[in-house]
Amino acid sequence: MLSAYTDFIRIRFLTMLAYRVNYYSGILIYMLNIGVYYFTWQAIYGDRGEIGGFTASQMTTYIAVSWMARAFYFNNLDREIATDIRDGSIAIQFIRPYNYLFVKMMQGFGEGLFRFTLFMIPGMLLALLLFPVRLPSDPIAWVGFLVMLFFSFLINSQLNILTGLMAFFVENNEGIMRMKRVIVDLFSGLVIPISLFPGWLSAIMQWLPFQAITYLPGSVFTGRTQGTGILEVFGIQVVWFVALLIPIFFMWRAARKRLFVQGG
Amino acid sequence: MYYIGLVFEYLKNYMKTRLTYRADFWVEVVSDLLMQASNLIFIFVVFGHTNSLGGWSEAEVVFVYGFFMVPFGLFSCFVNLWNFSDRYIVKGEMDRILTRPAYNLFQIFLENIDPPGLIGSLIGIVIMIISGGQLGLDLVWWHLPVMILFAISATLIYTGIYIALTSLSFYSDSPTGIIPLMYNIQNYGRYPVTIYNRAIQFLLTWILPFAFVGIYPASLFLGREEMTHMAWLTPVMAAIFLTIGLTSWNVGVKKYRGAGS
Amino acid sequence: MKAIEVEHLSKIFKVQKSRGGLKGALQDLFSRQYNEVAAVNDISFSIPAGEICGYIGENGAGKSTTIKMLTGILVPTAGKLNVGGYVPHEEREKFVRNIGVVFGQRSQLWWDIGVIESFGLLRKVYGVSEQDYKKRLDELVQRLDLGDLLSRPVRKLSLGQRMRCELVAALLHNPSIVFLDEPTIGLDIIVKTEIREFLKDMNRQHGTTILLTTHDLQDIEALCSRVIMLDEGRIIYDGGLDTLKTRWGQGTRVTFQFGTACPLGRLQSLTSELYVSWTADNDLHAEVLVPAELNVSDVLAKIVGQPDIAITDIKITETTTDEIVRQIYQTGSATKETQGGTVSHA
Repeated sequence: MLSAYTDFIRIRFLTMLAYRVNYYSGILIYMLNIGVYYFTWQAIYGDRGEIGGFTASQMTTYIAVSWMARAFYFNNLDREIATDIRDGSIAIQFIRPYNYLFVKMMQGFGEGLFRFTLFMIPGMLLALLLFPVRLPSDPIAWVGFLVMLFFSFLINSQLNILTGLMAFFVENNEGIMRMKRVIVDLFSGLVIPISLFPGWLSAIMQWLPFQAITYLPGSVFTGRTQGTGILEVFGIQVVWFVALLIPIFFMWRAARKRLFVQGG
Repeated sequence: MYYIGLVFEYLKNYMKTRLTYRADFWVEVVSDLLMQASNLIFIFVVFGHTNSLGGWSEAEVVFVYGFFMVPFGLFSCFVNLWNFSDRYIVKGEMDRILTRPAYNLFQIFLENIDPPGLIGSLIGIVIMIISGGQLGLDLVWWHLPVMILFAISATLIYTGIYIALTSLSFYSDSPTGIIPLMYNIQNYGRYPVTIYNRAIQFLLTWILPFAFVGIYPASLFLGREEMTHMAWLTPVMAAIFLTIGLTSWNVGVKKYRGAGS
Repeated sequence: MKAIEVEHLSKIFKVQKSRGGLKGALQDLFSRQYNEVAAVNDISFSIPAGEICGYIGENGAGKSTTIKMLTGILVPTAGKLNVGGYVPHEEREKFVRNIGVVFGQRSQLWWDIGVIESFGLLRKVYGVSEQDYKKRLDELVQRLDLGDLLSRPVRKLSLGQRMRCELVAALLHNPSIVFLDEPTIGLDIIVKTEIREFLKDMNRQHGTTILLTTHDLQDIEALCSRVIMLDEGRIIYDGGLDTLKTRWGQGTRVTFQFGTACPLGRLQSLTSELYVSWTADNDLHAEVLVPAELNVSDVLAKIVGQPDIAITDIKITETTTDEIVRQIYQTGSATKETQGGTVSHA
């Protein structure tokens, strides 16, 4: 059974390799994203030393690592699930001897593996060449970051699954998916680090799961969080990972009920 | 005349479909607005920490954003190519389009028409009025027709870029997902492009000319003289990029190979 | 007058060769290899106006590819095409006003709105006048018995109901040439018969030229005076259905059951002047194949009434078109295996 699940990882990895145009354009576009934000923040910093606890050089590293992390954790599980629901093929998934959501997660992980090895790592090397990015010297920061990056993937995929499952309850969840995308990019700290938001807004965001996707791992990588602080922010991620399982469970149950009662 | 008639027919059908799913309509409107709001939040947060971005004040940047929303709204209403590759190439709906006696790209636009997008345009106008008032802009009579011209040109530039990118699905043998990747880039033309380095400026001006959808045309009304000559290039760029887009599309259609079966 | 003329038409697809495994996939990311596959390979035929022509072949034989070239969807790699006075892919928008297309597997109706709304929109798209539209719609609705379906959204229709609506949608502008790609696929026998009757009537009344592909040979038998058979992108047969039967059919098979043993040699000697071939599993059971040019009664006359042969049962079976076609396909694919698995395009 387990080998069936790992097969889903392998197949998705191979499928990703087939999308060649995406691959090349993806790397270029991520470099452009980093570039634009790098220059924007340069202009904002001017000759000021620190904004929101970030030095200009930390900001550069933060931008680069955040975008490259996104290159890894990003996936379209929401869209895939919504499509399965809309064209009715989800019904077939229910009679297969596996858990649909777990399969989706595995496919997402297969994609993640591809993105990590062929997208994030080469992208990061390129970013090192193009921008003054400073890598952490502390090995603990590396380990902490990599573990947290994995949880970024988990939490982001969980949110995608939740968004995708919405298609059971609204006829067309395109709008919701677009909204989720914007919210994740903004509230995860990708475009603006959370500490730069006005006090009340950053206070709200600390109670939302999004910061666990980008901001927390990013702060470990830039060295703003060190030592036991790493365990603390990692704890937040774990809590969110567990907490998000609950709505997924209930939504999945409601979805099954809906499917069986209404016949799809 | 024929094509204008078709626009109304398709709009009528859109309305009928939408009346069956009223809740979705509002979800879409709200999500569109939220998307715009999130971009404004970025501007406000940035100006919470500085007074000027490359020599541009907050009100000026907000005005540019308001201007940008007008063509963007027009674009998202009339040119919705988001799931072209999936729906028309992979699922083969292009076959049906090609057996009908209207220009194929136009049919695709009409089938995906999305009027809630226009709400963004209206909000953009309101934003321009407010921030324009704060700046005390003195507009003269010819600014209005020029603004309409620029807004339409910007919409066409947008359209040209996206047609060209979408037509790649005809050439590539695997589904392409470039459009979602462009999603962030389209925003970058709204900020003063002079803060970027030369390579990025060049890219946003001549290759993916999103700067002509935001900062360049808007600079004319802000009286930013350093960019005025670029502003007047907007209609020219529109003609060029629309031509590129349509040519690439028409050649692509000839390469269309149909879906399996 | 010719409705469709095709000369040396070919369509070649480039198909990516995937190298298997992880290493292969990684190599594919940086350099790709392609195979050229001829979906349609140098075919020529012409169809006079007013004819119903069946286009058959196995999956991947090139039927759909041909139809898509004839309707202007695909651009041919080589060859000349003329359909209703146009080169389809060159003047597509003008050309398609004159044709009707139904893809059995795909809908051309709007999913969420009433069928009648789709028709109204198609009226505008094809620029049909209000008057003509009313007349035509009434005629079609009555003929296909759609009266109370018109206000329902497509997603609430059964497949048979939907297919009838698809036909109306494709015929509203009264095209003179109609292409049907598997129009009866998945339908029950009653709807199939209805649709066949309808197509036949339309052909009679309006002189509509019809080209249809199908896997159901009863469609062909019911409708077509002519059939074109395709294999691996080439035409292997083009002509009347009757000729197909005489050329490929094995005539009539007569099966005998005997009460007492009757050796094969005895039967063969009785019919020695006739060119028939006998087979027997055992002495109580024998089969004779009578070619189409001979009369079954001549053969029977030689056997029946012989004092030493006690016949308990006689069964006479005609080879059906199904059998004929299956046989042709089988011989066709026997040569195919030597070339190795080519990717198919249908």
